[in-house]
Amino acid sequence: MSEKTRFWILLALLIASIALLVAANALASRVSIG
Amino acid sequence: MKLSRVNTGLLVAIIAINSYLILSPLWPKVSFWLDRHDTKHIQQLSHAIHTTPPQGIMANQLIIPSMGFQESIYESRDQSALHKGLWRRPLTSTPDKGNNTVIIGHRFTYTNPRGVFYNLDKVHVGDELGVVWNQKMYRYKVTTVQQVPATAIKVEAPTDTPTLTLYTCTPLWLPKDRLVVTALLEKTL
Repeated sequence: MSEKTRFWILLALLIASIALLVAANALASRVSIG
Repeated sequence: MKLSRVNTGLLVAIIAINSYLILSPLWPKVSFWLDRHDTKHIQQLSHAIHTTPPQGIMANQLIIPSMGFQESIYESRDQSALHKGLWRRPLTSTPDKGNNTVIIGHRFTYTNPRGVFYNLDKVHVGDELGVVWNQKMYRYKVTTVQQVPATAIKVEAPTDTPTLTLYTCTPLWLPKDRLVVTALLEKTL
């Protein structure tokens, strides 16, 4: 695998990780009833 | 060569973010486990809810000795107070007026504050807890601990007897329900 291909894969994984963190935090922040 | 270094940096960042994502929800549990032998602190809190609060210095607070817990209660019209800690729901009562006082807090968030009610599941029926409200201590005894759907608005309904209702998200990893602790007023000091 070329370094360029690896770069795009890692970049996609990084973006996915950040999105997962934001989503998990939003889910944990919903505390109210109703 | 330069791209190789960038890739290494990306890999480190991915590992760091995912480690934080997985491990940080567990940290309060570890912290609670490490502090479980701090009986002096628990005794101090237990003593505090059996005595009149010192005048002029205490903010409104919730004290739960069995959790080793003492946190300020904040007031606001919207959920912004949750970012500071405990929030008294504005359309519910206050301890000095009887009825149903509802105080809520986050179980866990990745931003601050982490897990103000993380250990609410450690509270059991029969436990005593106290609320310092306008320089008076209101001591309650827990009567029920239950898990309800997030739509169960009845837990905030007015009550005939002076009641304290605490709730937070549950379960920890997929917080679709609410963990609700209900306590009845025992004594005002």
